[in-house]
Amino acid sequence: MMMAIIKKELLQLRRDPRLIGLIVVMPLVMLVLFGVALKLEPKNVRMAYYDAAPSIFTNLVRTGLWSDGYFDLYEVKSKQAIIEEIRAGRAKAGMFIDRNFTSQLVENRQPHITFFVDGTMPSLTTAMKYHSGSATDDSVTNGMYFSDADAENVVVADDPFIMDTEILFNPDEKETWYFLPGVIGVLIMQIALILTGISVVREREKQTLEQLLVTPLSKTVFIIGKLVPYIIIALFDFYFILGAGWLFFDLPSPSSQLLLFLLALVYVAVMIALGLLISLVSRTQQQAMFIAIFIIVPSILLSGFIFPMEAIPDSVQPVTLIIPFTYFVEIIRGLLVKHTEFIDLYRDYLALLGFAVFFVLVSIARFRKTL
Amino acid sequence: MIQVSHISKNFAETCAVNDVSLEVGEGNIFGLLGPNAAGKTTLIRMLCGIIRRDSGDVRINNKTIEAARHDFGYVAQHFGQYEELSVWENLKFYASMYGVNDKLQLLSLLERYQLMPFKNRRAGQLSGGYQRRLALACALAHDPAVLFLDEPTAGIDPVTRKHLWDDFYSLATEGKTLFVTTHYMEEAQRCNHLAFISHGQIVAQGSPLTIRNALGDTCVYRAEVAYLPEVHQALHDLPGMILVNQFGKELRMVVEPQLSKQILQAAISKVMNKAVELEQTQANLEDVFIALTQEENKS
Repeated sequence: MMMAIIKKELLQLRRDPRLIGLIVVMPLVMLVLFGVALKLEPKNVRMAYYDAAPSIFTNLVRTGLWSDGYFDLYEVKSKQAIIEEIRAGRAKAGMFIDRNFTSQLVENRQPHITFFVDGTMPSLTTAMKYHSGSATDDSVTNGMYFSDADAENVVVADDPFIMDTEILFNPDEKETWYFLPGVIGVLIMQIALILTGISVVREREKQTLEQLLVTPLSKTVFIIGKLVPYIIIALFDFYFILGAGWLFFDLPSPSSQLLLFLLALVYVAVMIALGLLISLVSRTQQQAMFIAIFIIVPSILLSGFIFPMEAIPDSVQPVTLIIPFTYFVEIIRGLLVKHTEFIDLYRDYLALLGFAVFFVLVSIARFRKTL
Repeated sequence: MIQVSHISKNFAETCAVNDVSLEVGEGNIFGLLGPNAAGKTTLIRMLCGIIRRDSGDVRINNKTIEAARHDFGYVAQHFGQYEELSVWENLKFYASMYGVNDKLQLLSLLERYQLMPFKNRRAGQLSGGYQRRLALACALAHDPAVLFLDEPTAGIDPVTRKHLWDDFYSLATEGKTLFVTTHYMEEAQRCNHLAFISHGQIVAQGSPLTIRNALGDTCVYRAEVAYLPEVHQALHDLPGMILVNQFGKELRMVVEPQLSKQILQAAISKVMNKAVELEQTQANLEDVFIALTQEENKS
C-alpha cells in the first residue's frame, strides 16, 4: 500500500515538467551562481581620504593601503567630508591624516591616523578593520624610523604611527543594528511573495478564475485589485515587525518617518507585484512556492545584506542590481543607522519604484482574460 | 440572439471544435448535447470568450463577445464561486463586477433560488444543489439576456434538477436565451432546440422532434428481453445493424431498412431458444445520440 502511494507521488511529480525544471535546474543555477559570487574577501572597497599634510610618508601609507587591492582610494576635502561620503554610501571606509602627522613622525612621537569604517555592514566592517593593517606593514613603515647618529640610545616604538579605527554609525557594533533592518525586508519579502504568489494560481486551481474571466473586468482592474489589499496588509506587517524591533531590540529611530514610510510603501509594492507576477507565470501553487524560494535565497545572499557587495566578482555584480532587496538594504540602513540624506538615497528609491512599475506592467501584460 | 459562424479550435494536434455554426433565437433553450470530450465545454467557453477561438465569428445580441459582456451570464461546469465568501458576499461581488448595486434585485435572486436561509453561510459549506443555485444567482445578478450553462445539473439529484429546469423555463418565458450543454437525454428533451456535437463537429441539429428523425432512413425496434451478451453479439454481427442498446429489460435496435424484423427475430430466438416478439417504434434521442456518435467514431 505504501509502495502504491510512493509510486503515485513520483508519477505526479514526473508529470509536472515545470516543477522538475525548478527542482533540478534552479538549484544547479543557484549553486554555480553562489559558488562564483559568494566571497568574504572584499576588493576595491571605496575609501575616502583626507590628507591634511601630504608628504612622502603619508603617500607611503596611502600606497600601502591601495597596493593590496582592498581599498580604492579617492580624496575628499575635509575630515567631515569623509564621514559624509560614508554616510551617503559612496564610500565604505575613510582615512584621515592629521596635518601634524609628518612632523610628529620625524620626531618619533607616534602620530595617529584615523581609519573610519562603515559600521552597518558586519562582514565588511571586520574585513576592513583587518585590512587596514596593510597601512602598517613593514614595507610601509620601514622607512619611517628616524635616528640621530649623535644621539644617545633612543627607544623607538614598535610602530612608527598608530592606526585608530573608528566604527561609524554603530560604534558599539550592535549585532541587532547590523542585521535587523535587513531582516525586516527579508520577512516582508517572504510574506509578500508567498501571500500573493499563490493568489492567482489558487483562483486558477479552484476554478474561480473561469467564472471571473467572463465578467467585464479589465486586466488592469484585476491586477490593481489584487495588489492593493496585499500592499495594505504587508505595509501593516512592515510596521508591526519594525515596532517589535523597536520594542524588543532597541532598533534606532529613522532619520525621517516620511522617508521610512515611502520606503515601506514602495518596497512592499515591489514585493507584492513580484509575487503577483510569480502567481501569473505559475500553473500550480507548488510551482509558485518554488519560484518564490528561488527569488528569496539569492536576494538574501547577493544583496549586500550578509555578504559584502565589494566581495562579489564583477561578473556577478549586474545580478545584484536586478535584486530589489539590494536597494532596500541600502535605504533601510541609511535611514535607520546612518541617517543618510534623501539626496543620497533617491536613486535607490527610484530603482525600487522602477521595479514596482515594471512588475505591475508585466503582470498586466502577462494576465490573459482567457484560460 | 446567439450567432456562431464557422468557429474552430485546436489544442496542439487535437481538433477540439471543428467549423461549428449555430444560431439561437431569443427566448430559446438551446441544448448542446454530446459525449464526454466531444467539445461541448470548449465550445461554450469560446462563446463566453474565455477560450480564444482559432477562427470564425461569434455574435451575442449582435455584438462581439467583448462588447456583449454585460449581455450574458455564465455558469461553469464546476462550482466557481468563492468558498470562503458567504452566499450574500458572493452575489454582491459578482453583481459589482457588472456595476450592479441594486440590493432589492439581489435579494429577489436569493428568494428565487431559495438561498435566503443560507444568506450568511459560506459558499463552501453549501450542498451541491445550493452551490448550483448560488452559481445561477451570481450569473443572473446583472440580469443578462443570455445565459450560458455548462452541464448545469451534473451531479444534482432529480428533485433539484426538476426545480432548476422549471426555473430555466421561467427564465426563457421572461425572454432570456439559454444555452445549455448536457449529456443527459432527459435534459436534452427539455430543450426547444438541440445540436449534437461529436468529435468537435455538429452532427445534427434542430428541434427534439427533428433530431429524432436525424437517423434518416432507419428502423427502430424494441423487444422485452433481459440482457444477454450472446444476444447483443449476435445482433452486432448482423449486416445493417447500427445500434444495439439495453434499457433494463428493454432491448432497442436501430437498423438499416434492409435488415428486416424477421431476421432480427430469428437472430434473437436462435440464441434464446424461444420466440421473441419485436415491435417497431420511434427513435428516441438516446438512440440518435449513440448512433450518431458511433458513426462519428467509425468515420
